[in-house]
Amino acid sequence: MKALYVIKREYYESIRKKSFIISTILAPVLLLVIYAIPILTVFFVPGEQVSVAVLDRTGLIADDFVSSLTDTLKDGRPKYKTALPQPVSGDFDQLEAALIETIDNGALDVLIQIPEDVFESGKVDYISKDHFVEQVMDDMRGRINPVIISHRLAGEGMDYERVSRLTQRIELNEKKLTKGGVLENEELIGEFVLVVVFVMILYMTLLSWGMSVQRSIIEEKGSRVIEVMLSSVEPRDLFLGKIIGLGSLGLTQIAIWSLMMLAVTFSSSIAAAQYASYVRISPVEIIYFIVFFILGYLLYSSIFSIIGAVCTTEQDAQQLQSIVVFPMIIPIMLMFLVIQNPNSTLAVVLSLVPLFTPMLMLARVVISDPNSWQVGLSIVLLVVSIYGVILFSARVFRVGILMYGKRPGLKEIFRWFRYA
Amino acid sequence: MSSSSVVKITDVTKSFNGLKAVDELSFSIEKGIIYGLLGPNGAGKTTTIRMMMRMLYPDRGSIEILGQSLRDLKKDRIGYLPEERGLYRKMKVLDLLAFFGEVKSMKRRAARRSGSEWLERLGLAEVGQKKVEELSKGMQQKVQFISTILHEPDLVILDEPFSGLDPVNVNILMDIILEFHRKGHTVIFSTHMMDQVEKLCREICLINKGRKVLDGTLSDIKKEYGRNSISIRYAGDGSFLKDLPGVDSVNVYGNELFLRLREGADSKAILKEVSARLDVQKFEIAEPSIHDIFVDQVSSS
Repeated sequence: MKALYVIKREYYESIRKKSFIISTILAPVLLLVIYAIPILTVFFVPGEQVSVAVLDRTGLIADDFVSSLTDTLKDGRPKYKTALPQPVSGDFDQLEAALIETIDNGALDVLIQIPEDVFESGKVDYISKDHFVEQVMDDMRGRINPVIISHRLAGEGMDYERVSRLTQRIELNEKKLTKGGVLENEELIGEFVLVVVFVMILYMTLLSWGMSVQRSIIEEKGSRVIEVMLSSVEPRDLFLGKIIGLGSLGLTQIAIWSLMMLAVTFSSSIAAAQYASYVRISPVEIIYFIVFFILGYLLYSSIFSIIGAVCTTEQDAQQLQSIVVFPMIIPIMLMFLVIQNPNSTLAVVLSLVPLFTPMLMLARVVISDPNSWQVGLSIVLLVVSIYGVILFSARVFRVGILMYGKRPGLKEIFRWFRYA
Repeated sequence: MSSSSVVKITDVTKSFNGLKAVDELSFSIEKGIIYGLLGPNGAGKTTTIRMMMRMLYPDRGSIEILGQSLRDLKKDRIGYLPEERGLYRKMKVLDLLAFFGEVKSMKRRAARRSGSEWLERLGLAEVGQKKVEELSKGMQQKVQFISTILHEPDLVILDEPFSGLDPVNVNILMDIILEFHRKGHTVIFSTHMMDQVEKLCREICLINKGRKVLDGTLSDIKKEYGRNSISIRYAGDGSFLKDLPGVDSVNVYGNELFLRLREGADSKAILKEVSARLDVQKFEIAEPSIHDIFVDQVSSS
C-alpha cells in the first residue's frame, strides 16, 4: 500500500510546521485564559464599596434594615457604607432633594426611600444614577422585605420568625441520573458547560482539519507536484494518504490537548481546582469525542477534498467552502435545543442526520444517556454516508487534480464522477 | 510489431468535451532505444503520455506498456518527468528523494544512498540538507530529474526535460540519458526542441492535432527527404533562388540556405545556375534537418 508512504510524509512534514505547534499549544492556553479570567476576578478582585442612604418616612424600618446590611467585600471591608440622615424640622422632601443632588454629583451611590404608606403599597424607592447592579438591588430587596413584613405581621399580632418558618417555600432539589451515578445541582451546570465546550472543540477541529485537507490539495495542485506523484502512486493512494495523514495529525493534536486537560485537572492551583469542578470528563466521554472526531473528520474532509480538487486557487475555493460550512453550523445552532431536551423526538431525529451526528450525538451522549440503538444507528448511518462520500470524492479527485483553470459547474463535476 | 516492444499504442482516441485530443493514434517503441515523441504545442503529446501512465483513460484503443495492459501497469518500472513539474517545496532535498524512491517501492535507505550519489554526480552534494525552496530553479530541475531516474526505471519518459536549463546542464543531463540508453533502458523523449532530437533519438513519431503525421527511424525519414534537398552557403543576393525551376521552398538560416526540390528536379541545373550567379562556398545535396521536416510537415498538415 503506497498510501502508507503518503500518510507518513504528510504526517511528518506537517507535524514539524510552526502552524501546527502554535495552534496545538496556543488554542488550549487561550481557552484556559478565557476560563480563568472570570474565575480569577471572582476570587481576587475585591469589588467596590457602595454608599447607601436610607430615608425612612415611617421611622420604623431604617434601623433594622441598615443593621441587616452586613455584607463584606473580599478584603474584609463592609460592602455597604450606610447613612441614616435625619431631616431638619421634619422636612423630608427637602432632605430627599438634597440627597438626590448628592447622588447627582457622585458622593452617594444609592438612596433607599421608604414612603409612609409602605405597609399598604408594598413599594420602596430605589434611586440611583448608575448603580443598577443586580446584586446590589437583590441585597436591598432581600433585606428590607423581612423588616417590613415582620412589622405588618406584628400589626396583626403574629410572630415573624414563626410565620416565615411555616410559610417557607419548597425548593426542587435536582438530581440527575447518569451513567456515573447521581449528579446534584451544581454539577449539572458543570455538565452543561462541558457539553458546550466539547461540541465547540469538536466543531472547530473538524472545520480546521477538513479545511487543511482542502488547502493541502490546492497547494499541491499549485506546485504541480500532483502529476509527479501520480507517476508513482494511484490517485486513490494520494487521496487516502492525504486524508488519513492529516487526520492522524488532528488526532495527535487532540491527544496533546487531552493530556493538557488531565494535567490541569490534577494540578493543585486554585484556578485549576475551580476549573476542574466545572469540567469533569470521564474517559468514556473522551472516547466518544475521539470516535465522533474520526467519523466526522472522514465525512467533512472528503467533502472538503472535493472543493480542493475542483478549484485551482484559494479564492475559488472560498466561495464553495461556504456551502460546506453552512451544514456544519446548523448543529451548532441546534445544540442548545438538543441539550435542553436531549431525548425528545426532535433531538433524536436531528442526531441521526449524518451531517449533524458528530456534534449532536456527542452532545446527547455527554448530557444524557441515549438508547444505545440510537447511538449505534447514528454511527452506522454515518459510516454508510462516509463510504458514499469517499467513493464520490475520490472519483472527482482523480479527474480534478489534473484540471486547471476555470472552476467546473456542478453538472461538470457529476460528469467527472461518471467518467472517472 | 516486434515482440520486444516496450510501448505499443493501437488506435487510441481520447476526447475532452467532444474535442479530440488524440485521434486514432498508433505507434510502438522497441526496447532499448531513445524515442522522440514530437509535435507542436497542443498536438496531444502530454495527453498520450498521461494515458500511458494511466492518469487518463483512453476512450478507445489499447495501450500496452512493458508487456502489460494498462490495467496491470507497473508504475514502479517507469520514470516520468512531467512537463509541468513540481516538488514538495518545504522538504529537505534528501528526504524528498528518499520519499520519491519509497513510492517507487525502493527501500528508504537505498533511495537515500542513491539520491546522495546522484546529487554528488550533478554537483549538488552540498544541498542534501537544504529545503527545496532554497534551491535555484536550475538546481530544482536537476533534483526533479534525479527523482525521475532514482529507481533505475526500465522506461524513462521525459516531457520537455531541458526547458529552462543552461547548455552546460543540458549536456550533463544528455550524458545521463545516453548512459541510460547504453545500459539498455528505453527512453521516450517528448519535445519540440529539434536539435536535441537530432542528437539523441533513433526513432521518432511526429504528431499534430492528435494524429500521427509520420513515424520511423530518423535515418529513414531523412533519407526520404534528403534526395530532394540542397544546402548552400554563399555570398551575394540569393533572392532569385526561389524562382528557379524545380525549387519548392526556401528556408534561410542566417549563413546557410536550404532548398527543397520538387519531384524530379534537376539539381545539376540548379548548381550551374547558382555558381554562375553567386559566390558559392558550399553546395551540398543534403539531408534535411529534423527541424525542417517538422516545420514542413506541421505547416502542411
